[in-house]
Amino acid sequence: MPKCHFSDVEISGIVTCVPPLEKCIDDELELFGGNVKQLERLKKTIGLSKRRVVDAQTTAADLCEKAARHLMKEGGVDLQQIDAMICVTQTADYLQPCNAAVIHGRLGLSKNCAALDVNLGCSGYVYGHWLAHSLVASGGCERILLLAGDTISRLVNAKDRSVAPLFGDGGSATLIERSLGAPSAYFSLQTDGGGYDKLIVPAGGSRHPHSTQTAEVLEDESGNFRSPENLFMDGAEIFNFSITEEPKSVKELLEYAEVDAAAVDHFVFHQANRYILSNIAKRLKLDLAKVPMQTVELYGNQSSASIPTAICGELATALADRSSTRLLLSGFGVGLSWASALVEVGDLTVCELIDYTA
Amino acid sequence: MELETFIKNFEEAVEDVEVGSLSGDSVYRSLEHWDSLAVLTVIAMVDAEYDLRLKARELKQMQTLSELHALLESKQSI
Repeated sequence: MPKCHFSDVEISGIVTCVPPLEKCIDDELELFGGNVKQLERLKKTIGLSKRRVVDAQTTAADLCEKAARHLMKEGGVDLQQIDAMICVTQTADYLQPCNAAVIHGRLGLSKNCAALDVNLGCSGYVYGHWLAHSLVASGGCERILLLAGDTISRLVNAKDRSVAPLFGDGGSATLIERSLGAPSAYFSLQTDGGGYDKLIVPAGGSRHPHSTQTAEVLEDESGNFRSPENLFMDGAEIFNFSITEEPKSVKELLEYAEVDAAAVDHFVFHQANRYILSNIAKRLKLDLAKVPMQTVELYGNQSSASIPTAICGELATALADRSSTRLLLSGFGVGLSWASALVEVGDLTVCELIDYTA
Repeated sequence: MELETFIKNFEEAVEDVEVGSLSGDSVYRSLEHWDSLAVLTVIAMVDAEYDLRLKARELKQMQTLSELHALLESKQSI
């Protein structure tokens, strides 16, 4: 695609909600067959450390609803004023209806509110912003609630070293509103469906419905265990994809916006892991101080919620200190799908990371 | 692309391999620490140092460092 830009639209508040349960790779030596060296190498090279995960009862919708309620309350926004709600998730409560309808009911939003899901993962937060900006800029909506959240920890097999220690959970809520005179926001959106099977939950959908066979856990050639209903990731291919496409996409967006990388205050990438982030930053020759990277080490790879978690967790003070901050947001992953946005964020009414309580 | 420099870069990319311990005849897939993480760090090294895309599948097909070096040289000439 298409690159595009919209004006007179602003981001006015962001809240992210994470589950309180923390897991740490140090406590999981048995997953690595007691191989201390391998575990140390993963910590040092990839940067794996802690992650926050939900219990078996909590879903992405719960985390997003909590974030949305906090955002509305702290931001002083009347729920009846929401014209549209976009839910980005790959871990919806039901096969149908969509999470947006379920959460619409739970929040008690107006009947004059469009509500839809976007089935995207790590690129989803940026795609959600693109949709929201486009809907506001076209004049169709005044105020949009963008929810993005996933509970990927519930899709991984606990005995799969290639994914289990990587993923955490989170849910976010972002308010996007019309604001005359707000600076332009620039977007680029891309897809390579040829890589659809590089990051996939193969069974449980319509192509391969749940059966006793799809529930069977098998050992792969590397000694990892998973069933076709668990998340599979081809780590090397995803890594190759990330370090090839991401730097290119970011460069092209900056050229399109005619903005120099030095004029961007923070580069907020999807928090995949420290290794991928530092490789992308290195290729773009970015000042590492401008690239939040701690989020993934504290919360894990949170799929669609990772960018808002990085903003709320690492940049809240920096954003509050300035009247306007230029952010480059960029997500990449399952699809394969990737998207970047260059936005200017003013004084947010709320920018907070909260813990989930039932 | 010089074989010697490539071997040195390879040794640095794979943890716990002493620099100077490998040669063109070394069968890298038999190294004690050859695992999925090493695959990743070698792919990253090849990308950063030579601006070439190496696939995990290709790393599985080659045996020795000389073979891997030859594969990269053939990629470079494309």
